[in-house]
Amino acid sequence: MSTLVSPVSAMPQKDIAKPPSRLTLKSQLDDMALLWPWVEALALEYAIPEDALFGVHLCLEEAISNVIRHGYNGEPGHTLSVDCVSPKAHEVLFVIEDQAPPFDPVSGSIPEEQPASSPMDYLRPGGRGILLMRKFSGSLAYERLPGGNRLTIGFDLTR
Amino acid sequence: MELSTQELDGGVTRVALDGRMDIAGAAAVDMKMNLIAGSANKLLIDLQKVTFLGSMGLRSIVLPARAVKSKGGKVVLFAPTEMVESVLKTSGIDAILPVHHDLANALAALQ
Repeated sequence: MSTLVSPVSAMPQKDIAKPPSRLTLKSQLDDMALLWPWVEALALEYAIPEDALFGVHLCLEEAISNVIRHGYNGEPGHTLSVDCVSPKAHEVLFVIEDQAPPFDPVSGSIPEEQPASSPMDYLRPGGRGILLMRKFSGSLAYERLPGGNRLTIGFDLTR
Repeated sequence: MELSTQELDGGVTRVALDGRMDIAGAAAVDMKMNLIAGSANKLLIDLQKVTFLGSMGLRSIVLPARAVKSKGGKVVLFAPTEMVESVLKTSGIDAILPVHHDLANALAALQ
């Protein structure tokens, strides 16, 4: 089973209900069921507005399913982590790290202005998903790590 | 995720989706949607109660819609929320599957 890892081993009593800042998932799509309750708890913690919360769910679902389906090529037995940080007021960042081969969903050449000519266009790996992530996030940044990938998705909570 | 169907006048099949069309929600309705697409020729997909739509949920709408259209049928999307409609527009699906907020207009588009 996947684990929720708290960043602090000895939490003060008043913070017991605080959601952990890191979620660790197995490389299987059904593990993504853990995303919703975690994000809902973070939404309370950081007062994420409803529209922004929709975008958080959308971007995380897209990014994480990309890692599982394409980064890890659907192979079980791997893990990925999602960290939530708030470097400043009214901004939250979700940092997704994996140990997959190089996989940059941000810099791919996506024909943004061109409507899809076929419904199948929406089903291509990384095809339309990146458009949705760009639309619903505030920022997207990719970094190649030694032996892995890091995707940082930012949300401006004042929008 | 729940799905219900209703046969309307004019041979229209109305499929009402209710809940989150995330990966789990899409998996829950995929088989039913495909079965409906196999028999329907005029399909109205009612999105009023869809609270979330991700790319896997889009797939669960596009594939059955394509099946209906490939046999000469028609498909319209009805009454998505503002955020769900934004997903449809951003992905360009509204160019292939028209979105209506008025039921009479939606039904007229299927005739």
